[in-house]
Amino acid sequence: MKLRRLNLGMDRFSGFYLWAAMIVLFGIWVPDTFLTTSTVQSVASQQAITAMTGLAVLVPLLAGQFDLSVGAVVNLTTIIVACLQTRSGWAMWPAIGVAVLSGVAVGVVNAFIVVRLKVSSFIATLGMATVVTAVISIVSGQSQPLPPSSAAWNNLTQTQIFGIQVVFYYLVALALILWWLLDHTPAGRYISAVGGNPEATRLSGVRTNRWVALSLIVSATVSGVVGIFYSSLDGPSLTFGPTLLLPAFAAAFLGSTQFRPGRFNVWGTVVAVYILGTGIQGMELVTGVQWISDLFNGIALIVAVAFAVWRQNAAEATRTRNNARRRPGSRDSQQANPPGGGDASDGGVGPADIAARDASAAAAETHA
Amino acid sequence: MAGRELAETARAVKSGIPLLAARGLTKAFPGTVALDRVDLDVSAGEVHALLGENGSGKSTLIKVLSGYHVPDAGSVEIDGQPLEFGSSVSSYDLGCRFIHQDLALVETMTVRDNLMLGAGFPSRLATVRDRAAEREARQMLARAGVAVNPKQFVSALSPAQRTGVAVARALRGDVSVETKVLVMDEPTATLPEAEVTHLLEIIRAVARGGVGVLYVTHRLDEVGRVADNLTVLRDGVKVADAAARGMAREDLVRLLVGSDFEEPPRATGPLIPSSEPLLSVDGLTSESLDRVSLEARPGEVVGIAGITGSGREALLGTIFGALPRFDGRVTVSGREVHRDGAWAAVSAGIGYLPADRKSNGGVMNLPVRENLTLARLRPLWKAPFLRRTREDAECRRWFEQLSIRPKDRFNETLERFSGGNQQKVLLAKWLRLEPRVLLLDEPTQGVDVASKAEIHRQLTATAHQGAAVLIASSDVDELAAVCTRVVVLHEGHPTAELQGDRVRVDLISREAHGSEPTGRTT
Repeated sequence: MKLRRLNLGMDRFSGFYLWAAMIVLFGIWVPDTFLTTSTVQSVASQQAITAMTGLAVLVPLLAGQFDLSVGAVVNLTTIIVACLQTRSGWAMWPAIGVAVLSGVAVGVVNAFIVVRLKVSSFIATLGMATVVTAVISIVSGQSQPLPPSSAAWNNLTQTQIFGIQVVFYYLVALALILWWLLDHTPAGRYISAVGGNPEATRLSGVRTNRWVALSLIVSATVSGVVGIFYSSLDGPSLTFGPTLLLPAFAAAFLGSTQFRPGRFNVWGTVVAVYILGTGIQGMELVTGVQWISDLFNGIALIVAVAFAVWRQNAAEATRTRNNARRRPGSRDSQQANPPGGGDASDGGVGPADIAARDASAAAAETHA
Repeated sequence: MAGRELAETARAVKSGIPLLAARGLTKAFPGTVALDRVDLDVSAGEVHALLGENGSGKSTLIKVLSGYHVPDAGSVEIDGQPLEFGSSVSSYDLGCRFIHQDLALVETMTVRDNLMLGAGFPSRLATVRDRAAEREARQMLARAGVAVNPKQFVSALSPAQRTGVAVARALRGDVSVETKVLVMDEPTATLPEAEVTHLLEIIRAVARGGVGVLYVTHRLDEVGRVADNLTVLRDGVKVADAAARGMAREDLVRLLVGSDFEEPPRATGPLIPSSEPLLSVDGLTSESLDRVSLEARPGEVVGIAGITGSGREALLGTIFGALPRFDGRVTVSGREVHRDGAWAAVSAGIGYLPADRKSNGGVMNLPVRENLTLARLRPLWKAPFLRRTREDAECRRWFEQLSIRPKDRFNETLERFSGGNQQKVLLAKWLRLEPRVLLLDEPTQGVDVASKAEIHRQLTATAHQGAAVLIASSDVDELAAVCTRVVVLHEGHPTAELQGDRVRVDLISREAHGSEPTGRTT
């Protein structure tokens, strides 16, 4: 019994062990550059942007929807908030307000296309991402706006608290809010039920369209806010947004193997981002090359999904064996501690299914 | 082909010598003995029914035959050749074929292409020889006694025809391997009555061809109709091995369950006979319904009968809003229910248990707890959190009340529960709302006998508490057992209504098929 519980811990928290191993490895390998406060600071604040984007895609994924427009929306608000301040002379807060609203607007359009026009979210948000890219060109006039120079603007994300930039604490706050929303409110229950089986959820009297729409609006809104933070932290960039997309999905899928294996979850996503970020930072310090992050994120996405599929198959095999040995009326001890995560088989949709379903289209997206 | 026919005749003559002979099969899993010294013989030309409740060891036995499980002791011979345990190749090579509930047909392809997929298309210069393939497909179908055009798409076939195609595919085998034993795992679980008859004919025909058929089913009424002999397993032990004909249903149930078990009491009818209808449906019209009007009073259990295509399978879903409604009104206690979706019906006090629990009933990858409370979370919500302790307490109570097993494992995902227990969970989801009207499509399909009785007991109790319960079922026995009144549909329209003493299996069936004999019912 004790042994089994220990295994379960390894299973659900394997990410932490991996993380610790990486810190030890790079700590021994390149102690002078890796074990420094500047490394901690840069990983904490840089990855906060990725983690928040990961949380943005997590919400629609839980509802069984893809939002591929998050990268474009991040970029859109990055540019809008900068242009309004430096080119139109707006004050900071109104500029932020309008930028965030533009993000919300993209979410509303996404929701309309998916819920009313019944276009699959994959296609709808892929199309919207491209439309938004065009809007960015129109707004920016194809030239990168100057970063706003006010102190308030820089302090928005760069103020240090306990030696770490405040943007990291924004991530913590966002994670807490989404954790509450997804795990402790009826809205979260409805969203994950829709993701698991939309028809069964509808027939339970749940207004599924509403929750699908909400999930897409939440992801676009969060992305909009992330764009503001990015603009303040690193300055407006015309090309940064799309590079966020893959790490965000990699984190969400990798996160679905942690804490609650088989389900997308908030803390798994956040931890996954930091595991990847630590690994990338360490490798960059060791090798000094720039392509490490692409390599790392791409491999991580594939490995995470392959792992989820493998785990699902293992769980199914175990279930088949368990069912064979189950007797009516007897307490089946095997049922209590499934060695694998319980994700989907018939009728249900887990991370592995979602990944498999749109695998080919995902390949198309990375080229876009 | 001529050689093959000769061989068949020869084998049919040998009839009586077991094709499948299992001796002393024993398989233990930690904590349980799934099979305890089980013997089983199936002869050429015999249909042998294998019966048992969920967890009795049936599936373990089948999985031993298919090479999935390695037994701890015992032996299996197929036509005199020893089966090598744990090897699906050996099982296949010796001539064992398996048809599961999931037929594994490609619906978007034609019957012909489905039949050719396994063993390969006849081809010349890497090009499929269409006519040769079609000829071959026709022969295969004829051998299985299935009257289907090989050019048809599988998606256009009735469920019984699809099973027939799967049988034809199983019988084909390789050129080198003849099919000797055909194992069918609950092929009729999801079939309507008329289709069952058709399928049972196919199975008889296959057996006449000299194959030994091992037939697993939950439907006791078809045992006597199709099987020559039967074996009953209970808790891994063979408790009966007898001729199928002349076995009384009550005896079978006693063997299956292991104790005398009482049939649930029937609801008595409207609590107040002259009371106002709780549910009234007026002129309901849809793709498969034609101006259906009916009423149900508190305390009534109304059955909906009819052959497939009569509108029986669509009526309750249309009332609820699961299926689109073209025209007509639905009212609960005089208040009209909006047609724009299931949520309106739920808030009007209607609960609906769909026929297909995997695709429409439950969210399989979520915990049972979340399934149970999904339809109404408001009482559990106390800002800012959902009250988990209260939710757990409710789950515990429902597990207790409906004897859901395994006990109190409501944090497990729904898919981990057996069919009967899943169905009880989904029923509990609605009972929890104390619905005024409860609609159930095929409430006990693919459910073991004990769970079935429990579900019936709950339905009767719900009616006694003043709800109106409507059950649409292809299982006429079920309707006769629990309903106070049965409405029979024909071509989308109610054509008969049976009440009181007239709620009987024979009368319901006669009305469902119409007064004149119906030729093709599929």
